[in-house]
Amino acid sequence: MAIDGNKIIHAVMEGSRIRESKGIIPLFGVYLSIFSTRYYNNLSFEFEKMLKGRKSEAEALLVRAAQECGYATFQGVRNSWEWEEIVKPMIDRKEDQIEGFSAVAFAFGWGDLKVRKLIPGETLVIRATGSYEASGYLEKYERAQSGKCYMLRGVTGALMDLLYGKEYPEGCFTFSAHEHLCRAKGDEYCEFIAQKSPD
Amino acid sequence: MRSLNWQKKLGRDGHRVKFSGRPVAMHCHHYNINLQKTLEDTLGEQGVQLVYRSSEEAILEDFKSILGQYDSIKSDKSKFEMAGLMFQNSGMGIIRVEALGPDGGLFVSPSNHHVTGWLAKHGRRPTPGCHFVRGWIAGILEAIYDRTVGYYTVEEQECKMVRDGDCVFVVKVAQYGD
Repeated sequence: MAIDGNKIIHAVMEGSRIRESKGIIPLFGVYLSIFSTRYYNNLSFEFEKMLKGRKSEAEALLVRAAQECGYATFQGVRNSWEWEEIVKPMIDRKEDQIEGFSAVAFAFGWGDLKVRKLIPGETLVIRATGSYEASGYLEKYERAQSGKCYMLRGVTGALMDLLYGKEYPEGCFTFSAHEHLCRAKGDEYCEFIAQKSPD
Repeated sequence: MRSLNWQKKLGRDGHRVKFSGRPVAMHCHHYNINLQKTLEDTLGEQGVQLVYRSSEEAILEDFKSILGQYDSIKSDKSKFEMAGLMFQNSGMGIIRVEALGPDGGLFVSPSNHHVTGWLAKHGRRPTPGCHFVRGWIAGILEAIYDRTVGYYTVEEQECKMVRDGDCVFVVKVAQYGD
Protein backbone atom coordinates (compact mmCIF):
# COMPACT_ATOMS: atom_id res chain seq x y z
CA MET A 1 0.00 0.00 0.00
CA ALA A 2 1.30 3.47 -0.84
CA ILE A 3 1.89 5.90 1.99
CA ASP A 4 -0.96 8.38 2.27
CA GLY A 5 0.82 11.58 3.28
CA ASN A 6 -2.47 13.38 3.88
CA LYS A 7 -3.32 11.09 6.78
CA ILE A 8 0.05 11.90 8.38
CA ILE A 9 -0.34 15.64 7.81
CA HIS A 10 -3.80 15.49 9.32
CA ALA A 11 -2.45 13.65 12.38
CA VAL A 12 0.32 16.23 12.86
CA MET A 13 -1.94 19.25 12.41
CA GLU A 14 -4.54 17.86 14.78
CA GLY A 15 -1.99 16.50 17.26
CA SER A 16 -0.09 19.78 17.35
CA ARG A 17 -3.23 21.44 18.67
CA ILE A 18 -3.22 19.24 21.75
CA ARG A 19 -1.31 20.56 24.72
CA GLU A 20 -0.93 18.99 28.06
CA SER A 21 -1.24 21.17 31.14
CA LYS A 22 2.43 22.21 31.07
CA GLY A 23 2.14 23.73 27.58
CA ILE A 24 4.20 20.95 26.02
CA ILE A 25 3.15 19.17 22.81
CA PRO A 26 3.92 15.46 23.08
CA LEU A 27 3.46 14.05 19.59
CA PHE A 28 4.95 11.13 17.65
CA GLY A 29 7.12 10.26 20.66
CA VAL A 30 8.82 13.68 20.90
CA TYR A 31 8.14 17.08 22.46
CA LEU A 32 7.14 19.30 19.60
CA SER A 33 7.44 23.08 19.32
CA ILE A 34 6.26 25.53 16.69
CA PHE A 35 8.36 28.61 15.98
CA SER A 36 9.43 31.03 13.29
CA THR A 37 11.65 29.63 10.54
CA ARG A 38 13.56 32.91 10.76
CA TYR A 39 14.84 31.84 14.18
CA TYR A 40 16.27 28.57 12.90
CA ASN A 41 17.78 30.14 9.81
CA ASN A 42 19.38 32.92 11.83
CA LEU A 43 20.95 30.41 14.21
CA SER A 44 22.46 28.38 11.39
CA PHE A 45 23.64 31.08 9.04
CA GLU A 46 24.90 33.50 11.68
CA PHE A 47 26.72 30.65 13.43
CA GLU A 48 28.42 29.89 10.13
CA LYS A 49 29.30 33.57 9.71
CA MET A 50 30.69 33.83 13.25
CA LEU A 51 33.02 30.91 12.64
CA LYS A 52 34.35 32.73 9.54
CA GLY A 53 37.52 30.88 8.56
CA ARG A 54 36.14 27.66 10.05
CA LYS A 55 33.21 27.45 7.62
CA SER A 56 33.51 23.72 7.01
CA GLU A 57 33.61 23.12 10.78
CA ALA A 58 30.40 25.14 11.22
CA GLU A 59 28.77 23.21 8.40
CA ALA A 60 29.85 19.86 9.86
CA LEU A 61 28.57 20.81 13.34
CA LEU A 62 25.19 21.92 12.04
CA VAL A 63 24.76 18.79 9.92
CA ARG A 64 25.86 16.64 12.83
CA ALA A 65 23.36 18.31 15.20
CA ALA A 66 20.61 17.70 12.66
CA GLN A 67 21.63 14.11 11.97
CA GLU A 68 21.63 13.21 15.67
CA CYS A 69 18.29 14.92 16.00
CA GLY A 70 16.82 13.20 12.94
CA TYR A 71 18.07 9.86 14.22
CA ALA A 72 16.47 10.29 17.67
CA THR A 73 13.36 12.04 16.36
CA PHE A 74 12.42 9.49 13.74
CA GLN A 75 13.24 6.63 16.08
CA GLY A 76 10.74 8.24 18.47
CA VAL A 77 8.32 8.73 15.58
CA ARG A 78 8.41 5.10 14.48
CA ASN A 79 7.97 3.87 18.05
CA SER A 80 5.03 6.17 18.76
CA TRP A 81 1.44 5.05 19.02
CA GLU A 82 0.57 7.54 16.26
CA TRP A 83 2.94 5.73 13.88
CA GLU A 84 1.54 2.37 14.97
CA GLU A 85 -2.02 3.51 14.37
CA ILE A 86 -1.69 5.76 11.34
CA VAL A 87 1.44 4.93 9.38
CA LYS A 88 2.26 1.29 10.05
CA PRO A 89 -0.88 -0.04 8.34
CA MET A 90 0.38 1.65 5.12
CA ILE A 91 3.84 0.08 5.29
CA ASP A 92 4.42 -3.10 3.31
CA ARG A 93 8.21 -3.20 3.28
CA LYS A 94 11.04 -1.67 5.28
CA GLU A 95 11.80 0.94 2.60
CA ASP A 96 8.27 2.38 2.88
CA GLN A 97 9.31 3.84 6.22
CA ILE A 98 11.28 6.52 4.38
CA GLU A 99 8.11 7.65 2.59
CA GLY A 100 6.42 7.81 5.99
CA PHE A 101 9.29 9.85 7.46
CA SER A 102 9.20 12.23 4.47
CA ALA A 103 5.49 12.77 5.01
CA VAL A 104 6.16 13.63 8.67
CA ALA A 105 8.88 16.11 7.58
CA PHE A 106 6.42 17.67 5.12
CA ALA A 107 3.83 17.93 7.89
CA PHE A 108 6.38 19.64 10.15
CA GLY A 109 6.88 22.35 7.49
CA TRP A 110 10.44 21.39 6.55
CA GLY A 111 9.72 21.22 2.80
CA ASP A 112 8.21 18.89 0.25
CA LEU A 113 10.50 15.85 0.35
CA LYS A 114 10.36 13.21 -2.37
CA VAL A 115 12.39 10.03 -2.52
CA ARG A 116 14.03 10.01 -5.97
CA LYS A 117 16.14 6.90 -5.56
CA LEU A 118 16.69 4.28 -2.92
CA ILE A 119 19.18 1.45 -3.21
CA PRO A 120 18.67 -0.50 0.01
CA GLY A 121 21.70 -0.29 2.26
CA GLU A 122 23.58 1.89 -0.20
CA THR A 123 22.11 5.13 -1.48
CA LEU A 124 19.20 7.45 -0.81
CA VAL A 125 18.45 10.47 -2.98
CA ILE A 126 15.90 12.94 -1.62
CA ARG A 127 14.68 15.97 -3.51
CA ALA A 128 13.22 18.88 -1.59
CA THR A 129 11.18 21.72 -2.97
CA GLY A 130 10.46 24.64 -0.67
CA SER A 131 13.11 23.89 1.96
CA TYR A 132 12.73 26.69 4.51
CA GLU A 133 16.50 26.82 4.88
CA ALA A 134 17.10 27.62 1.21
CA SER A 135 14.21 30.11 1.20
CA GLY A 136 15.53 31.80 4.35
CA TYR A 137 19.05 32.02 2.99
CA LEU A 138 17.88 33.65 -0.25
CA GLU A 139 15.80 36.20 1.66
CA LYS A 140 18.71 37.43 3.73
CA TYR A 141 21.94 36.80 1.85
CA GLU A 142 23.37 36.79 -1.64
CA ARG A 143 23.31 33.62 -3.68
CA ALA A 144 25.28 30.89 -1.94
CA GLN A 145 28.34 29.10 -3.27
CA SER A 146 27.38 25.82 -1.60
CA GLY A 147 24.31 24.02 -0.24
CA LYS A 148 22.69 25.63 2.80
CA CYS A 149 20.10 23.09 3.93
CA TYR A 150 22.09 21.69 6.82
CA MET A 151 19.08 20.39 8.70
CA LEU A 152 17.65 18.44 5.77
CA ARG A 153 21.10 17.16 4.87
CA GLY A 154 21.58 15.72 8.36
CA VAL A 155 18.08 14.29 8.36
CA THR A 156 18.70 12.50 5.04
CA GLY A 157 21.71 10.72 6.54
CA ALA A 158 19.69 9.88 9.65
CA LEU A 159 16.94 8.19 7.66
CA MET A 160 19.48 5.78 6.16
CA ASP A 161 21.07 5.25 9.60
CA LEU A 162 17.72 4.18 10.98
CA LEU A 163 16.98 1.76 8.18
CA TYR A 164 20.39 0.28 7.47
CA GLY A 165 22.68 1.22 10.35
CA LYS A 166 23.28 -0.86 13.47
CA GLU A 167 20.38 -1.20 15.84
CA TYR A 168 19.37 2.03 17.62
CA PRO A 169 21.21 3.81 19.25
CA GLU A 170 24.42 2.40 17.75
CA GLY A 171 23.84 3.28 14.10
CA CYS A 172 24.01 7.07 13.94
CA PHE A 173 26.50 8.43 11.35
CA THR A 174 26.77 5.10 9.51
CA PHE A 175 25.66 7.19 6.54
CA SER A 176 26.38 10.76 5.60
CA ALA A 177 24.72 13.00 3.08
CA HIS A 178 25.77 15.84 0.85
CA GLU A 179 23.63 18.42 -0.87
CA HIS A 180 24.70 18.60 -4.48
CA LEU A 181 21.83 20.84 -5.59
CA CYS A 182 20.40 23.73 -3.55
CA ARG A 183 18.01 26.56 -4.34
CA ALA A 184 20.21 28.85 -2.26
CA LYS A 185 22.89 28.54 -4.96
CA GLY A 186 20.47 28.93 -7.83
CA ASP A 187 19.36 25.36 -8.50
CA GLU A 188 15.72 24.64 -9.16
CA TYR A 189 15.39 22.44 -6.09
CA CYS A 190 17.52 20.98 -3.33
CA GLU A 191 18.78 17.41 -3.56
CA PHE A 192 20.56 15.26 -1.02
CA ILE A 193 22.50 12.05 -1.53
CA ALA A 194 23.18 9.79 1.46
CA GLN A 195 25.78 7.06 1.22
CA LYS A 196 27.87 5.01 3.62
CA SER A 197 30.23 7.22 5.63
CA PRO A 198 33.91 6.65 4.97
CA ASP A 199 35.52 4.41 7.64
CA MET B 1 -10.39 40.86 25.03
CA ARG B 2 -10.72 39.43 21.54
CA SER B 3 -8.96 36.14 22.04
CA LEU B 4 -6.48 34.60 19.68
CA ASN B 5 -8.08 31.81 17.68
CA TRP B 6 -5.26 29.31 17.56
CA GLN B 7 -7.19 26.74 15.53
CA LYS B 8 -7.75 29.31 12.82
CA LYS B 9 -4.32 30.94 12.95
CA LEU B 10 -2.25 27.77 12.59
CA GLY B 11 -2.62 26.55 9.05
CA ARG B 12 -0.89 25.23 5.97
CA ASP B 13 -0.01 26.55 2.57
CA GLY B 14 1.08 23.34 0.85
CA HIS B 15 4.30 22.21 2.50
CA ARG B 16 4.57 25.43 4.50
CA VAL B 17 3.16 25.73 7.99
CA LYS B 18 2.07 29.23 8.88
CA PHE B 19 0.96 30.95 12.01
CA SER B 20 -1.03 34.09 11.41
CA GLY B 21 0.39 34.16 7.90
CA ARG B 22 4.03 33.95 8.99
CA PRO B 23 6.21 30.91 8.24
CA VAL B 24 6.87 28.56 11.13
CA ALA B 25 8.33 25.07 11.42
CA MET B 26 7.72 22.30 13.87
CA HIS B 27 10.81 20.97 15.55
CA CYS B 28 11.26 18.65 18.46
CA HIS B 29 13.35 18.96 21.61
CA HIS B 30 16.16 16.91 20.06
CA TYR B 31 16.82 19.56 17.43
CA ASN B 32 16.21 22.60 19.62
CA ILE B 33 18.50 21.34 22.35
CA ASN B 34 21.14 20.02 19.94
CA LEU B 35 21.34 23.44 18.28
CA GLN B 36 21.62 25.24 21.62
CA LYS B 37 24.30 22.87 22.87
CA THR B 38 26.28 23.05 19.62
CA LEU B 39 26.30 26.85 19.76
CA GLU B 40 27.16 27.01 23.46
CA ASP B 41 29.92 24.41 23.20
CA THR B 42 31.47 26.01 20.14
CA LEU B 43 31.07 29.74 20.79
CA GLY B 44 30.55 30.01 24.56
CA GLU B 45 28.91 33.31 25.55
CA GLN B 46 28.67 34.37 21.88
CA GLY B 47 26.62 31.23 21.21
CA VAL B 48 24.34 32.04 24.15
CA GLN B 49 23.87 35.55 22.72
CA LEU B 50 23.10 34.15 19.28
CA VAL B 51 20.25 32.00 20.65
CA TYR B 52 18.94 34.94 22.72
CA ARG B 53 19.11 37.48 19.89
CA SER B 54 17.67 35.15 17.24
CA SER B 55 14.67 34.38 19.44
CA GLU B 56 14.21 38.05 20.31
CA GLU B 57 14.35 39.25 16.69
CA ALA B 58 12.00 36.55 15.39
CA ILE B 59 9.28 37.00 18.01
CA LEU B 60 9.50 40.79 17.97
CA GLU B 61 8.63 40.87 14.29
CA ASP B 62 5.97 38.15 14.54
CA PHE B 63 4.27 39.55 17.61
CA LYS B 64 4.20 43.08 16.25
CA SER B 65 2.35 41.75 13.23
CA ILE B 66 -0.07 39.82 15.44
CA LEU B 67 -0.74 42.82 17.69
CA GLY B 68 -1.55 44.79 14.54
CA GLN B 69 -4.38 42.33 13.89
CA TYR B 70 -5.77 42.66 17.43
CA ASP B 71 -5.93 46.39 18.00
CA SER B 72 -8.86 45.98 20.41
CA ILE B 73 -6.40 44.59 22.97
CA LYS B 74 -5.36 47.69 24.82
CA SER B 75 -3.77 46.87 28.15
CA ASP B 76 -0.15 45.77 28.36
CA LYS B 77 -1.13 42.90 30.61
CA SER B 78 -3.71 41.62 28.13
CA LYS B 79 -1.13 41.83 25.37
CA PHE B 80 1.30 39.78 27.42
CA GLU B 81 -1.45 37.29 28.25
CA MET B 82 -2.04 36.82 24.54
CA ALA B 83 1.70 36.27 24.08
CA GLY B 84 1.59 33.71 26.90
CA LEU B 85 -1.22 31.92 25.12
CA MET B 86 0.89 31.83 21.97
CA PHE B 87 3.83 30.48 23.95
CA GLN B 88 1.65 27.72 25.34
CA ASN B 89 0.01 26.89 22.04
CA SER B 90 3.40 26.70 20.34
CA GLY B 91 4.39 23.97 22.76
CA MET B 92 6.93 26.30 24.40
CA GLY B 93 5.44 25.93 27.87
CA ILE B 94 3.79 28.15 30.43
CA ILE B 95 4.80 31.69 31.26
CA ARG B 96 3.08 34.10 33.60
CA VAL B 97 3.56 37.73 34.36
CA GLU B 98 4.23 38.85 37.93
CA ALA B 99 5.04 42.47 37.15
CA LEU B 100 5.03 44.38 33.87
CA GLY B 101 5.67 47.95 32.79
CA PRO B 102 7.56 49.97 30.18
CA ASP B 103 10.71 49.68 32.30
CA GLY B 104 10.60 45.90 32.50
CA GLY B 105 9.04 43.26 34.68
CA LEU B 106 9.16 39.90 36.35
CA PHE B 107 8.08 36.65 34.70
CA VAL B 108 7.83 33.08 35.91
CA SER B 109 7.80 29.90 33.87
CA PRO B 110 6.84 26.81 35.83
CA SER B 111 7.51 24.61 32.79
CA ASN B 112 8.88 25.05 29.31
CA HIS B 113 9.97 23.10 26.26
CA HIS B 114 13.66 23.90 26.62
CA VAL B 115 13.78 22.81 30.26
CA THR B 116 11.94 19.56 29.51
CA GLY B 117 14.15 18.92 26.49
CA TRP B 118 17.44 19.79 28.17
CA LEU B 119 16.74 17.68 31.26
CA ALA B 120 15.61 14.74 29.10
CA LYS B 121 18.77 14.86 26.99
CA HIS B 122 21.49 16.15 29.31
CA GLY B 123 20.16 16.30 32.86
CA ARG B 124 20.97 19.10 35.26
CA ARG B 125 23.32 21.88 34.17
CA PRO B 126 25.38 24.22 36.36
CA THR B 127 24.09 27.51 34.94
CA PRO B 128 20.66 28.79 33.81
CA GLY B 129 19.95 27.74 30.24
CA CYS B 130 16.66 29.23 29.02
CA HIS B 131 18.34 31.56 26.53
CA PHE B 132 15.55 31.09 24.01
CA VAL B 133 12.91 32.09 26.58
CA ARG B 134 14.94 35.15 27.67
CA GLY B 135 15.08 36.33 24.07
CA TRP B 136 11.41 35.58 23.60
CA ILE B 137 10.44 37.71 26.62
CA ALA B 138 12.63 40.60 25.42
CA GLY B 139 11.06 40.48 21.94
CA ILE B 140 7.51 40.35 23.31
CA LEU B 141 8.07 43.39 25.54
CA GLU B 142 9.74 45.28 22.71
CA ALA B 143 6.67 44.58 20.57
CA ILE B 144 4.25 45.63 23.33
CA TYR B 145 6.10 48.90 24.08
CA ASP B 146 7.12 49.55 20.48
CA ARG B 147 10.85 49.36 21.10
CA THR B 148 13.68 48.07 18.94
CA VAL B 149 15.78 44.93 19.37
CA GLY B 150 18.13 45.22 22.33
CA TYR B 151 16.04 47.74 24.27
CA TYR B 152 15.47 45.29 27.10
CA THR B 153 17.81 42.89 28.78
CA VAL B 154 16.50 39.72 30.39
CA GLU B 155 18.26 37.86 33.16
CA GLU B 156 17.25 34.40 34.28
CA GLN B 157 17.64 34.46 38.05
CA GLU B 158 16.37 30.94 38.71
CA CYS B 159 16.20 28.03 36.30
CA LYS B 160 14.71 24.56 36.42
CA MET B 161 17.71 23.31 34.42
CA VAL B 162 19.77 23.88 37.57
CA ARG B 163 16.93 22.35 39.60
CA ASP B 164 15.37 25.56 40.91
CA GLY B 165 11.62 25.33 41.47
CA ASP B 166 10.65 27.62 38.56
CA CYS B 167 12.40 29.65 35.91
CA VAL B 168 12.35 33.30 36.97
CA PHE B 169 13.15 36.12 34.55
CA VAL B 170 13.86 39.75 35.42
CA VAL B 171 13.59 42.32 32.63
CA LYS B 172 15.24 45.72 32.71
CA VAL B 173 15.93 48.47 30.22
CA ALA B 174 19.36 47.73 28.81
CA GLN B 175 22.12 50.09 29.83
CA TYR B 176 24.97 51.03 27.54
CA GLY B 177 27.38 48.09 27.52
CA ASP B 178 24.81 45.40 28.39
